[in-house]
Amino acid sequence: MTPIQIILVVLLVIGAALYFSKLRSLLLDRLLVVALIGLAIAMIVKPGLTTRVANWVGVGRGVDLIFYLTLVGLSFVLLILYSEVRTLQSRLTELTRAVAIANSRNTHDSGHRVEEERTMEGNV
Amino acid sequence: MDKSIFIVVPAYNEAAAIRSTIEELTDCGCSIVVVDDGSVDNTWSILKDEPLYAVRHPINLGQGAALQTGMTFALELGAKVIVHFDADGQHTAMDINSIVEPILSGHADVVLGSRFLRKADRAIVPPSRRLLLKLAVLFNGCLTGIWLTDAHNGFRALSRSAAQKIMIRENHFAHASDILTQIRRHRLRYVERPTRITYSTYSLGKGQRAWNAFNIVIDLFLGRIFK
Repeated sequence: MTPIQIILVVLLVIGAALYFSKLRSLLLDRLLVVALIGLAIAMIVKPGLTTRVANWVGVGRGVDLIFYLTLVGLSFVLLILYSEVRTLQSRLTELTRAVAIANSRNTHDSGHRVEEERTMEGNV
Repeated sequence: MDKSIFIVVPAYNEAAAIRSTIEELTDCGCSIVVVDDGSVDNTWSILKDEPLYAVRHPINLGQGAALQTGMTFALELGAKVIVHFDADGQHTAMDINSIVEPILSGHADVVLGSRFLRKADRAIVPPSRRLLLKLAVLFNGCLTGIWLTDAHNGFRALSRSAAQKIMIRENHFAHASDILTQIRRHRLRYVERPTRITYSTYSLGKGQRAWNAFNIVIDLFLGRIFK
């Protein structure tokens, strides 16, 4: 094995270890990760494999095929992250709204500069 | 007028204009809810001196979110009619009667203010803005199926039941189209009423810039894709 092959395999194994120790997720998610890691290691150890697959699908080099697939994969990751950000935003909005309403101020009968915090008159 | 009519005023860094806007509104005898959208100026402390309900977002969320907070709050206090009113002084409190009338008489669930129903009102709108607004009217019509004469007019009135059905999810300025989409979805009855607008250098400076239209379109597009 060449040095780069060893480096990549070690990095992948570390990535998989981190994934399983830090992130907990569904069985399907884990199976997917195991499959992807296995595939990656196979491609690193037998570089000729990717080129053969690439030729089947009409791509010249194995590296190019992986590059294209990576771009598609990253786009999906971005979309998933963005939808997660939107979910967080809407939760933050709900939280902020609840805090704002709980701390509302009623200055109707209090004249000037007298403050009444939390003066919601119950739910009418 | 009735205390069960709630005027919701979203305010973000409006220290310069909020006092005169509120003082104009207090004469109408309605309840006033000012939602300070996490202002960094002294908008919040000015509100202490006025007879109203004040609600403050700890962080800035956007005008759409502030309106929704004001509506949720007003509904909790038993509001029968909710009016949206801009803080920067561009609307006239005198128009409140005519904008709530179709709701009080049971003819509509939502009343939308328009700058294009009277010649005199239209003449006040600068030509470049008139063009942009008409493009927005076209855009809203195609997107929501609701054809109006004006777009992004912050002056509206909603009945209690309409306010309970409509939940503004667009935190920023796309809320205007969001409201139309929900009027359509809930099959609410709507009418337009003429409103007079006063553009000052202040309100023009605070108001939306033309290029923000692009942001609104993108927000709406993303909103449709991601739920």
